[in-house]
Amino acid sequence: MFASVEPYLFLTPAFAILLVFLIFPLFWNIYISLHDVSLVTIIKGWRYVGWENFLDLIEDSNFHTSLKVTLLFVAGSVALQFGAGLLISTLLNQKVRASGVLRAVFIIPWTISAVIAAFSFKFILDYNFGILNYLFDKIGLQPVNWLSDPNMVIWSIVIANMWYGTPFTMLFLTAGIFSINPTIYEAAIIDGATKIKSFFYITLPLLKPFIVINLILITMWSVNFFDLQLVMTGGGPLFASTTASLYMYRQAFEFGLLSKGAAAGLILVAINLVVTFNYIKLLRR
Amino acid sequence: MNVKKTITLSSIILIVSLILSIGHGFIIPISAQKKQVTLSAIVAEPKERWDILFNGAQQKLREKHPDMDIKVDYRVLPYDATRTQILTAMAGRTPIDLISVDQIWLGEFAQGGFLSDLTDRAKSWGKQKDWYQTNWDGGKYNGKLYGIWAWTDIRAIWYWKDLLSKAGVNPDSLKTWNGYIADAKQLNNALKSQGIQGMHLVGASHSPDMWYPYLWMLGGEIVKQKSGHPSKGTYWFPAYNSIAGIKALEFLKQQVDAGIKPQINHFWGQEFADKKFAVMLEGSWLLGVFPHEQWNNINQKIGMLPMFPVPNIGNKSATMIGGWLLGIPETSQNKDLAWELLTTMVDPQVLTPMLQKEGYLPTQKPIGEGPYAATLNASIPYYKEMISMIPIGHSRPNIPEYPQIADNIKEAIDKVYYGIKDPKQALNEAAAKSAKVLGW
Repeated sequence: MFASVEPYLFLTPAFAILLVFLIFPLFWNIYISLHDVSLVTIIKGWRYVGWENFLDLIEDSNFHTSLKVTLLFVAGSVALQFGAGLLISTLLNQKVRASGVLRAVFIIPWTISAVIAAFSFKFILDYNFGILNYLFDKIGLQPVNWLSDPNMVIWSIVIANMWYGTPFTMLFLTAGIFSINPTIYEAAIIDGATKIKSFFYITLPLLKPFIVINLILITMWSVNFFDLQLVMTGGGPLFASTTASLYMYRQAFEFGLLSKGAAAGLILVAINLVVTFNYIKLLRR
Repeated sequence: MNVKKTITLSSIILIVSLILSIGHGFIIPISAQKKQVTLSAIVAEPKERWDILFNGAQQKLREKHPDMDIKVDYRVLPYDATRTQILTAMAGRTPIDLISVDQIWLGEFAQGGFLSDLTDRAKSWGKQKDWYQTNWDGGKYNGKLYGIWAWTDIRAIWYWKDLLSKAGVNPDSLKTWNGYIADAKQLNNALKSQGIQGMHLVGASHSPDMWYPYLWMLGGEIVKQKSGHPSKGTYWFPAYNSIAGIKALEFLKQQVDAGIKPQINHFWGQEFADKKFAVMLEGSWLLGVFPHEQWNNINQKIGMLPMFPVPNIGNKSATMIGGWLLGIPETSQNKDLAWELLTTMVDPQVLTPMLQKEGYLPTQKPIGEGPYAATLNASIPYYKEMISMIPIGHSRPNIPEYPQIADNIKEAIDKVYYGIKDPKQALNEAAAKSAKVLGW
């Protein structure tokens, strides 16, 4: 009798943690999104409003803008983080002197707080004070509105996010590369394969599970991440750097519209689920 | 015999120890025990100002209540965290006795039922006449008093005397809109090669705050009461897209057209202190960017005009005033004592040393103009000029929807800055959004 229950008992602590920290907040969020909860009504009665908060979002042109900005931000961040991470991890896997030290150096951005990274980039990219425009000036180039040009700002933040997020991809893919049996490469060399061929026909296919999981993680993080945007530009100018996650934060905590923020949060969850589902389908192919 | 001796000796030691302990306060006889009261507070950074206020007030409170052992446990948090922390605490019914309230939060906090109504207490206190009317009214929401405005700030024109002189600009010409635009061009031409910009124009999230003074000086308002609200009868309606508002925004457009660049990053006066700009419209806190040692002769280097530029000479200027209020949360379990603490903190004797140290402006006439003014005037540069601006100071509406309305206005300003819309279109679109936010 006990033997049949035993496995479930072992699962209880993990399930309890999931229930308290994941399932309950998710359902609570759904509940809030269907009621009228704001900072003004939070200690009063909460009126049931059905889909009103979601309809508000659908009608809000700023939310539409934030979705477009999210698409650019996520696509740019994932492409650059993944590309740079794969390149660095592959290069450091070659016979490079002090590759261990270099790996440690490349990890530094990942170890610092996102807010500190954001402030650093805010100062680097500032039109008047920034070191980048200072260097441009020294070499006779015109200063660039990195953070105040609506067409440029999101790419400036993508670059900052690439700097911040690439070490994770590098680390993750390095672990994947280490798991590949070196004898496979030796056999390929005997068969006359070049390093580039080995990369495309051995490394990439064997890294596929790592690549997919890495892509899932960095995509979800990019969708949910707003520290850089909040500190570097506050979402401006003209909402050009307001991603959906920042939009959600502003609705809930700047404007006190907790229900609208909760509804935006659920839409973000849905986006993440769709992305994850597609990546997993890709993995199974 | 030995046992007897030991007992006697031990008894003597015990009695002597007890006497000494009482003498040194280690053990307090039951009759002398004081009632322990701990008042809790959440306030916004910087910490130094609160250390001065709470220490001063706590001392006075203890003298007033010798029967009590009063302690004040105050937490100083960053600006944004203060608001979130207060709201979380209030929503969780956590007992807190005193909070610092930014003037624009008052409506939201009062409407949410987080703040105690101080109207009756203030009547018995009888100090209303000591406050500047604007500052007293800033503590009210729907006719009831929820906070006491402790100190304030103003925004004015600051300029580097040497840079203006080098560019051949007379500071007096900064007083009018046309003069300001002409000076911008002249300063940019003269200082561009040194990497210095003539005028600063706020493009950061608080850009509406720097537009309001032009709106007010032209007789406009941000919101006004209107009847016929679908659920509230008479309620606030956006009024900033009036002719005054459009003219005010046109002046910002003229600045952009004249080559003044809106600055999306704001460093609260540091950019001026670093001589990146020759002229800056900035708050009275700008002085705090300069070391106190320089305050004695700062007026030799930096000039100040106590106004925002006006359309024509002779027009009345306006400015925006901000600052901090003190309020008592509804959850406080020591409201009487919290009120005593609050009133002691704003007592000129306790408050003035803090204002003097930090360079803030008073909300009370006895400090601004009365017996305490001489001290402040001697230590804070341009104090008299800054005080002279309080009567032309306006505060932002402290209604719960204000943060969203300000966001709509910011969007309109940005659209004009970037040439996407003309001022009229931009303001009308923003006002339509604000009307929806207000429930119309």
